[in-house]
Amino acid sequence: MSVLKKLSQMFSGTGRQESTTDKPVSETPNPPEPANSFTEAPPVQRRVIQAPVIVDQAAEVGSSDQILIKAEPSRDNEQCKFMVNRPLFEGHSWLFSNFEEAAGSPLAESVFSVDSVETLLVHDSTAVVTKTGAKGLSDWETLAKDVGSALRKTLQAETDLVSKDIIAKIPAEPVVREEIQKVIDTEVNPGVAGHGGRITLTAVTGNTVTIEMGGGCQGCSAADLTLKQGIHNAFRKAVPYVGAIYDETDHAAGSNPYYR
Amino acid sequence: MPKLNRFNIEIETGDTGTDLPVHFTINNHKLPLEDTQGGVQPGETFSGGFEIRSFAHSLTLVGPESGQWDIRKMKVDYDCEHTPTYSVVFGEVTLDETTEVNIWQDPPLPTWDV
Repeated sequence: MSVLKKLSQMFSGTGRQESTTDKPVSETPNPPEPANSFTEAPPVQRRVIQAPVIVDQAAEVGSSDQILIKAEPSRDNEQCKFMVNRPLFEGHSWLFSNFEEAAGSPLAESVFSVDSVETLLVHDSTAVVTKTGAKGLSDWETLAKDVGSALRKTLQAETDLVSKDIIAKIPAEPVVREEIQKVIDTEVNPGVAGHGGRITLTAVTGNTVTIEMGGGCQGCSAADLTLKQGIHNAFRKAVPYVGAIYDETDHAAGSNPYYR
Repeated sequence: MPKLNRFNIEIETGDTGTDLPVHFTINNHKLPLEDTQGGVQPGETFSGGFEIRSFAHSLTLVGPESGQWDIRKMKVDYDCEHTPTYSVVFGEVTLDETTEVNIWQDPPLPTWDV
């Protein structure tokens, strides 16, 4: 066979058929497919649950004849919480946004007399302070001592700590719930829906509100910003007598955060 | 979030136990606990740990492959970089083949008397 004839057979395929098998290629039984991870069932994704954390009661601020105050700056040093073994505003909470709002409330007046105090949130037996200027841990160490002294001095005076006008402004719990739910339904949720998020009102105690962030908000890196810049402002603008606003979302358990 | 050098866990089993080995996940990687002692049958106490030397974005204890596991109490000791060692005690929880329980807690905030 000439070289030209051999090449012609190769390109026409006849040469290959003659040299291999009589059966057409298409009839050759397919070998068994190897196990393919893409065809196997995906592993079951387990749900992460939370166990209650047992707190050592002895380490908490306990009852004592002495006024005991503990200072605890937040992890980002944006604010400092003061835990007192006396009620400051039992059953209710109030945000004093500036010095002017403190007028008539001895507790707030005393705290705002301390330099660089920016805001004061009072709830039950805690006071949360934000400050102007530098916010390092060492900055709080100095300021916390002064705030602690101011709180102690007011408590020792045994006067009404919060203005009667403020107490009179706070409506019954069902009214707070209804008003806050209205803001969530008409302003907040339509706003966060664009990011696949939703806000649920989980509790109202007195004028203290607790919410949960779900959907795209849960676990989102911008959740704190949404809470403080968006939700807090919307609540306080529409419902001026709302006190503390807490977020009880377990952001670590979020499986579908907004990440675009 | 500090770097987690090592953690140790002590688990008290309640009324329903399970079988060894006990697994945990670190950032979704499933591993068996090391340096283990004790058991996970009803009423038994089990302990183990792991040298992580990384950042714990998530740290969980994995439930049994089948059946339930009643945990009465768990004490976790954390050895983190640049942070004093600290412990957290978790209360009752029941795990099964669909669940895992979070065992990570950030270091406690600094607190002092004023």
